[in-house]
Amino acid sequence: MAMRNLWRTFKNSAWLGWQMESNWADPYLFAIYSIVKPIAGTLILVFMYIFLSYAGGGGPTNPSLFGYMYLGNALFMYVAQVLFGVTWVIHDDREHYQTLKYIYISPANFYVYILGRSVSKIAVTTIGVIVTIIFGVTALGIQMPLSNISWPLMLLGMSIGLACIIAFGLALAGVSFLTARHAGGMNEGIAGIFYLFCGAIFPITVLPSWSWPLASVLPITYWLYVMRVAFFGLGSGVASYDAMLAGYDIMQGLLILTVSTLIFIALSFVIFRFGDYMARKKGLIDMTTGY
Amino acid sequence: MTTITSLDYKRPSWIRMNVQAVFGRSLPRVIGAYREPSWIFFETVLPILGIAAYVYIYKAMGAPDYYMGYVIIGGAMTAYWLNVLWSMAAQFYWEKEMGNLELYMMAPISRMSILGGMALGGMFATTVRAVSTIIIGLVIFNVTFVIVDHILLVLVFAFTIFALYGMGMMFASLYMLWGREAWHTSNLLTEPIYLVSGFYFPVKYFGFFMAAAASFIPITLGLDGMRQTLFANVNTGFLPVWMELVVLIVLSLVFIVLAKYMLAYMEKLGKREGRLTMRWQ
Amino acid sequence: MTSYAVETRELCRTFTSKEKRGEPKKVVNALENANLTVKPGELFGVLGPNGAGKTTLIKILSTLLLPTKGEAFVHGHSVKTESHKIRYHINMVCGGESSGYGLLTVRENLWMFSQFYGIPSKLAKGRIDELLGVMNLQDKGDAKVRTLSTGMRQKMNMVRGFMTDPAIIFLDEPTLGLDVTTSRQIRLFVKEWVKAETDRTVLLTTHYMMEADELCDRIAIIDKGTVLACDTPENLKRRVKRESVLRIEVTGMGDAKPVSGIKGIHAFNAITDPAKGVTTISLILDEESAISDILSAITKGGGRIQAMQKTDPTLEDVFITLVGRGLENDNDNQP
Repeated sequence: MAMRNLWRTFKNSAWLGWQMESNWADPYLFAIYSIVKPIAGTLILVFMYIFLSYAGGGGPTNPSLFGYMYLGNALFMYVAQVLFGVTWVIHDDREHYQTLKYIYISPANFYVYILGRSVSKIAVTTIGVIVTIIFGVTALGIQMPLSNISWPLMLLGMSIGLACIIAFGLALAGVSFLTARHAGGMNEGIAGIFYLFCGAIFPITVLPSWSWPLASVLPITYWLYVMRVAFFGLGSGVASYDAMLAGYDIMQGLLILTVSTLIFIALSFVIFRFGDYMARKKGLIDMTTGY
Repeated sequence: MTTITSLDYKRPSWIRMNVQAVFGRSLPRVIGAYREPSWIFFETVLPILGIAAYVYIYKAMGAPDYYMGYVIIGGAMTAYWLNVLWSMAAQFYWEKEMGNLELYMMAPISRMSILGGMALGGMFATTVRAVSTIIIGLVIFNVTFVIVDHILLVLVFAFTIFALYGMGMMFASLYMLWGREAWHTSNLLTEPIYLVSGFYFPVKYFGFFMAAAASFIPITLGLDGMRQTLFANVNTGFLPVWMELVVLIVLSLVFIVLAKYMLAYMEKLGKREGRLTMRWQ
Repeated sequence: MTSYAVETRELCRTFTSKEKRGEPKKVVNALENANLTVKPGELFGVLGPNGAGKTTLIKILSTLLLPTKGEAFVHGHSVKTESHKIRYHINMVCGGESSGYGLLTVRENLWMFSQFYGIPSKLAKGRIDELLGVMNLQDKGDAKVRTLSTGMRQKMNMVRGFMTDPAIIFLDEPTLGLDVTTSRQIRLFVKEWVKAETDRTVLLTTHYMMEADELCDRIAIIDKGTVLACDTPENLKRRVKRESVLRIEVTGMGDAKPVSGIKGIHAFNAITDPAKGVTTISLILDEESAISDILSAITKGGGRIQAMQKTDPTLEDVFITLVGRGLENDNDNQP
């Protein structure tokens, strides 16, 4: 019975999330929208790389860096989008639709509701990631033969990674219980931390050495590493491009990813509960603050 | 209950009324910045992280130092683009959802004054974000700017802002009627505009026709002109700066006039279709 | 040019839904050929149930919506072509309104809105304080809007609407959802305001009969977009005065419908309070001889008469006569 209720909450909130995500536009327009944005984000890096290469008088000369940067950037869409999707639930439901209080007092499990609402973001982002990767392979010549891809590792890495990203989102959702209109900026910033310090588009070793310990405790670092290994193979130019991570074998990478994810999940629950408690204490559950 | 007296005053001129409206609408942003100081963190420290990533990718690629400067200038101008997009144009959508838009529409003032007020109120926080990006660029990444022509730099920046806010007002006219399309359009206009306007690389490399097409977005020529005046002896400019300034002046005038007509037209359309006050679209 | 504060001529407004695949467009007639005139200095009411077209009328008159057909003039100017001229002279307050910014204080919010009307800052501040005092809200002047209760918020909205001293103010269900004391304060305020100067005009929409009866010089009764009658409350009630108005409270009666078919009944309405198990039957009779048939029909239906009263007609009776059903059938009718 309890499971059935949880499933119903999940199903309905996923449906709601999908409607909010997509029913503002014609399906074709929505499909174009879902593809243009991620491709444009990726092309910024591609053009930076290509223009710089040609400006130097030669041409693209570092396929390992290019592959490293391209896949990292494609996968990072999950971090940016899902983090935003989860956090925005609180802000949007509270300030815009003013339904947060009704969902909050309903017997539905709030965590499951948030999870359900984020499913549509994950689905749309997945399409964007797949399109970006196909574009990279077919139009930009990234060497990623299907036969080389380790599908079980990819699926396992993806599952743990998504759990980790959702957990981060949950923590930020807890913080946005207490903040006014900063849900967007907060996401941008936290995603920025991961983008900068976790080896998303350049090897961690390019950063000053003081920042390396930070990279080594963030699970996103290991997620991106595991995914690069899954897509390009252990020991490939791309997977071993970052000297800091090249020493890890895949089991070590997976283990650290799993343990750090579990720690962050626990931490996220604590932060969320604290935000929730403080919001009730300060009477902020149904505040509207637009200015 | 006491008698409520008449309000005895001479109605001010139309210009004065609109100036008052601009200051009036800027108040929520100014007070918001004061009462919710957390924006300093969100608007200064956090955005620099994303910008720093672009600096480091150039480092990883072994780019010359002035490319880092390009990123810093692009990052600083990002603040204005986002302010135009989210805090001015899309704000009409939020105002509609909050129930304020109908009160604005009923007031005897230009809609551009309301938008101007939003822009003015947000300008402080936006400028703090832009300046902090530049300071961090100077201090952390040791970017060196060699200003070739101060006056030209100021003029290019000023007309970029005029044209940009004019463009934002044109968008606002659409957002006045739209529901969630507004939000998604702003979302869609973020990365693609970073791409075509050359926020992180010189737009010249796109080739003449592509760069010329991108120049309809004022920030394209604004960035290019500012980079040319800030980094001497680097030959990555698209057009001569004076020419870019002329185009920006023309764009400013065209966009502001167009915005006036578009706002009037879309307001009429909204009143005809009943969408001006329709919430939760 | 018209000498009326508000005039509508054959005013129509339809709303058409977006076309969806497989679904035809839906057309809703929110207003149909509405003809109204409101004189300067009048407190004019528009009475009707939810969805009658009251808010549509207010939106057209306050320049937020264009009519589909017909014309409307406010302060002598056309809402279609001269909306910019109208805006200097009007303001509007809606019930349940959530305007303003939660982060600002009451005074700051009000000051902001005053600036859209060009009121000099110092004068605006004085005016705000004056009206906050009249509304018993001076203590909350420095409270953030998000901390206000519904009633306080509505009082703030009233100050917002009245601080610009409009020649014509539109009040769209201003006491919606408010408690009795706050509603009374607001009604008193409106009455005082309109009386204080000769040419202040109020157009008030409501579905509270008592409110319309107490406040309005004239009332238009509107239902499904059509103006059914327009007159002073006394004249409207006089329409049914010639007939007998009877109220019967009955218990134990499942269905009161059979009573309605009895000859001699002009209009019939029945409302059951399930908590008390009491059905109140309101009847307007053409012939008083029908009373005996009515009583026997009630007894036959298993009902026991608790009270019976011959009353003066109310606006509810007028509404029943005109529409064939009671306002209370659509609304919670407690002002």
